[in-house]
Parts: sequence; structure tokens; C-alpha cells
Amino acid sequence: MVKIVVGPQHPALKEPERFLLETEGEYVKNVRVRIGYIHRGIEKAMENRTYIQNLYLAERICGICSDAHTTCYVQAVEELLGVEPPPRAKFIRVITAELERIHSHMLWLGVAAHEIGFDTLFMYVWRDREIVMDLLELISGNRVNYAMNTIGGVRRDLNSEHVDKILKGLNVLEARTKEYIKMIEKEPSVLKRTVDVGILSKADAIKYGAVGPTARASGVKRDVRADDPYAAYDETPFNVITSDGCDCFARIIVRAEEILESINITREALKKLPDGEIKIRVKPRIPPAEALSRVEAPRGELMHYARSNGTDKPERYKVRTPTLANIPALCKMLVGGYIADVPIVLAGIDPCFACMDRVLIVDHEKKKSEVWDLEKLRRYGREWYSKR
Amino acid sequence: MSREEEFVKKLEERFGRRVRDPRIQRARRIFVEIDGKDLREVLTYVKNELGFDHISAITGLDVGEDIELIYHVAYENSIELSIKTKVSKKDPRIDTVADIYDPAGIYEREVHDLLGVVFEGNPDLSPLLLPDDWPSGVYPLRKDKSFEELRELVEKSGVSGK
Amino acid sequence: MSDQEGGSKILKWARTKSPWIIHFNTGGCNGCDIELLAALTPRYDVERFGIVLKGSPRHADILAVTGPVTHQIKDRLLRIYEQMPEPKYVIAIGTCAVSGAPFWDGYNVIGGVDKLFPVDVYVPGCPPKPEAIIEGFAKLLKKIETEEKEK
Repeated sequence: MVKIVVGPQHPALKEPERFLLETEGEYVKNVRVRIGYIHRGIEKAMENRTYIQNLYLAERICGICSDAHTTCYVQAVEELLGVEPPPRAKFIRVITAELERIHSHMLWLGVAAHEIGFDTLFMYVWRDREIVMDLLELISGNRVNYAMNTIGGVRRDLNSEHVDKILKGLNVLEARTKEYIKMIEKEPSVLKRTVDVGILSKADAIKYGAVGPTARASGVKRDVRADDPYAAYDETPFNVITSDGCDCFARIIVRAEEILESINITREALKKLPDGEIKIRVKPRIPPAEALSRVEAPRGELMHYARSNGTDKPERYKVRTPTLANIPALCKMLVGGYIADVPIVLAGIDPCFACMDRVLIVDHEKKKSEVWDLEKLRRYGREWYSKR
Repeated sequence: MSREEEFVKKLEERFGRRVRDPRIQRARRIFVEIDGKDLREVLTYVKNELGFDHISAITGLDVGEDIELIYHVAYENSIELSIKTKVSKKDPRIDTVADIYDPAGIYEREVHDLLGVVFEGNPDLSPLLLPDDWPSGVYPLRKDKSFEELRELVEKSGVSGK
Repeated sequence: MSDQEGGSKILKWARTKSPWIIHFNTGGCNGCDIELLAALTPRYDVERFGIVLKGSPRHADILAVTGPVTHQIKDRLLRIYEQMPEPKYVIAIGTCAVSGAPFWDGYNVIGGVDKLFPVDVYVPGCPPKPEAIIEGFAKLLKKIETEEKEK
């Protein structure tokens, strides 16, 4: 039996994790989790800053899904205030959110390819991801941390030139994504490393509270955009992508198909984009109230809870990120699997990926423990599979 | 009758005045208050009988004398029921619900770290977020220490995450 | 020219023509990390300057740090820095690694990387674009070259 520690380095709010894997032979027997390496105390800091300043902090909870966090934040504050943003702002929120989902899923697809040693796909996907990064930069002025949302609306408007460029970019992305799906479905090296790996049954996905693509790849049809619509999602109908595969392969396919669905939503939102104001003025002081806001971030259900006390600073602000929600399910997936599959199973929930730098292996048969970094674990995985 | 109103009615029929102050803030958002001793009974009921099968989070707040805990549970990923309860700050103890909702275990660990609430029966309340050598008895989200005091205190105690 | 002189010449040449990097996130939000990674992929492709990302500090010449330094990560960061062979260089990517940025006064945050050890190049930005990161590396390489000449 070997004990492996995976982690700790990993970036978002409270999501850097360290996993202690107890192993026996080639199997994982038990998993223990420790996060907090990147705990920056944002919730406390938010009580100490004004609502406008917190917009800046909320953006920086996570750099990959920053727009999901600000959307969730402004929705909570708007509910505290009892105001509604103008319709045009709601559509622009949908467009930014979907472009962000495309960038996040492509990023993940590349990382997943890297985890199974398929670096060619990694480089191709990241090359094409630059198309959507350009679009985000075009509409917001920044590639990451777009600062599009503000309390009562959005900060930047779209013009006809933006719309044309976005539509053109989406056409290219659609063609490329279809190409990737075709390739992934046939590529033996992908199939060999992902089919029947990291199994999470539908019942377990519900029991362990999995969210987002992780749950949907286990056949759980849940998506906050559809079930608890916010922004303009009730006016841009879409399909909730699910798969009954319950393994890492299903997680790849679900995310790839969600890219196509996001492209459709963006097109629909651009077509229906109403005219009018993009924001309303709001007061800096917020009367005592509470609000619960939910958003479907690229990684799943994101939840913010806010309570105001009549001043310009919140009384309490709570953030529950999707990676934390997926950790119990992840532990379930790892137990009983091969050590060689740990990197791809970990990547399967799309944690903010830098988290898994070091691995400590405790071999219970040999009564020893050693620290592996992820590179060594990856290499072990590739060699192990090449011998089979 | 909306689905939200039906749920409130069912809760009131089952628990009578033990469920206080039910409020439908807007579509898909329900808030209720209960006593800590009824927590397990209420959560078991809403999970098994009403179909709230997903726990979104557990929020902890410092409200002066007490610490308020809010259990956010969801029905079909759509209706969020927030169940509030209070524990005394002097001896913050409450039963675990990790055997009712599996993911609650990790959320309880988080609240234990940041507010010092002890969840009796939770097998693993080891530090989740704070450094391993964090000064004991200091809970960042309690209001008794200001932001600046907290920072000074941590710097003085020489926390280094060993 | 003795063997020793010849050897050190090769080392100098390799150091400036193909520096190896270890990337470490000390508490950042991932924004800088994905931009650093983007700098390695086909559009920006820093590998054409010989820059290679390595997993082990023992193989690295340059430590690229992103994020504000948290208390929990401090020891690990120091350990990685100590494991790197001399001469070593540090590049702080993003405003958080430079100064702590919006998290500077957080209870679990120490501040910028330069509170722990000297930094050679600062790349501000939230996050800096891949172009800015590449410029940071170019400046660092120039600095290494000048230092080597002065020796």
C-alpha cells in the first residue's frame, strides 16, 4: 500500500487542494483532502470593503471563471436592493458568460489531453482558444478578468462591429470543435485512457452532491441556467447536455458538446439583443436584507449568499465554489481506481488545474511513503499503460 | 398554489410552530427558521419526503451572542430552501448532518475552521482552509476581531503552514 | 583555454539561450497562470526562445511566481527556492505576486514575493497579457547576459 499526496498548489479561492491517497498495489484505497493553500480570506475582506470595491474582489475569486463570480455577486446585490438590470444588460451578461464558458471548456480540454499524454491535442485546442480570447478582449478590453458586470447592469456596450466579429469567430470555433469531437471519439489513445475510468454512477452523483459537467456526465440533468434561470437565459432556449457514460470519456464529450451549445446560445442572444440602456443607477447604501444568488459557472453550480446591514459594506458574504462541491464526488471516483488514472480523474472534475503539483505516495505493503510530483505520476501513468 | 407555497404548507403541517417565520422571498427562494434540536428531523424530512436531495452549502454568520447557521438545500436544482438555526457563541455545538447529506461533511469542516462551530458526530473536523499551525481559538469570520486586529495577531503568532 | 573555462562558457551560453522555468502559484486566482500557460502555446510560443517549463525546482534556473503569498504556502515556496541550483532568478508575474494587490491586507496573506526573497523582474498586470510576460522574460535574459559579461 502506498500513500500519495497530490497537491497542494492550486489557484482559486479555496480550491487549492492536497490529496492524500492511500494505495495498495496499483489501486487507490482511501483519499483524504486538505485545501486552503490559496485561502486568501476573501469572505472576511469583503465585509471590510464597500459594495463597489467588492466587485473587484469578486472578479478575482477565480481568474478562469471571473465573469461567473461577478454575475453571481451583482445578482445578489441587486436582489438586496430590489432592482432589476435593463434587458440589454441581461443579454450582454449571457453573451459574456457563454464566451467565458467556451474559453474555460477549451482550456480544460487542452489540460485533459495533456494529462493523458496527448500534447498534440493540447496545443491545437489552445491555439484555437485564442479566437475566443480575442473576442473577450474585443468586447471587454481584457483577456482575463473582464470587469463587464456592475451593480445594476454592465459596464460596456456591444456595437454592430463587435456583433459581426463575434459571429465570425463563432463560426470558426464551431467548425474546429466539431472536428475535435470527431477526433476524440475515434482516437484510440483517448479511448484507452478515459473509457470506464473514474466511474461515478448517477445515484452517487446525486448522493455526493456533484455539480456541473461532472454531474451531467453521470446522467444527472441539472443546470442552473435551465432550472433556476437568471440573466436572459429564460429567453435563450438551449439543450442541457448529458451523457450516461459516467466516466472520464463522458466528461470530455459533455464539455465538448457544451462548447457547441454555448456557441448556439451566444448566437441566439446576439440575434435577440434588445435596444436600450445598459445600466441603472443604484444607491451605495443597502437596507438590511438577505439574498441567495446562483449561477451556472463553467465548473457547475456557484452559490453566493449575501446579507446587508444598512451600510455601504456587507454584513456577511459567503461564496461556495463548484470545485468544493465536487470534491466529495471526486473522492468517490478515485477510491478503487488505478494510481495511473489519478491525474485524469482529478482533471475530470475540472478543478482549477494547477492544484495537483505534488503527490505523496505511501506504500502500505512496503511501509514507506514518498512524495511524487504530478509530472512523475503522469509519467508513471503513461508507462504503466504502455506496458499493458 | 405555487410549488414554493406547497412546500411551506407541508412544512407547517408537519412541524407546526417549530418552523418559524417562513418566507418566500421570490420565485425559487424559501427561508425558514428552526431550533437546533429539530435540525436533523427537519432535514431528514425535507430530504426524504419533499425531495430536497442536494445540499448547496452551509453558511455560518456571527450575529452577536449567537452564531447563525444556514443550511441551503435544493429541490431538483431549482427551489433553494434556506433553513436557519442558531447556536450559542459560548458553546457552539450542533449535531452533524453528514449522514443525511454526504457533502455536508466538508461544508461543516469549513464552518468549523472559520467560525469554530463543533459539529458533533462529524468524524473529520481537521483544518480544511486555515494553516495547520493557525492559533487556536481564533476564528476569522467572528466579528470580535476586526480585520486589522486579525492580521496583526496572525503575523505575531508566526503562522507558516508547516 | 582550460577545460574549466570552457565548461563555464558552455554553462553561461546555455543559461541565456535556454533558461528552464519552474512555475509556482502561491495563492493566485489562476488568471496569471492561464496567461503564463498561454504564453507557452502556439500563438505566443516562448519555447522559440529556448524557455522550457519544468516540474522540478532542481532543474530550473528561473522561478516564476504568481499570486499573493499565503501563510500556508510560505514554507513550501521557500523550500522550492532553496532547492533551486545557483545562480537562480525570480520573476514575479501579476500584481498579486508583485505587491499582494487587493489581498494585501488579508489575514492569511503575507504580501508580495519580495517579502521572502529578492525578485529580479516584476511583471505587473491583472493578469499581464502573454506579451507582457514574454517581455518580462526578455528583460530577465538581458539581465542575466549583462551579469555574465561583468563577471
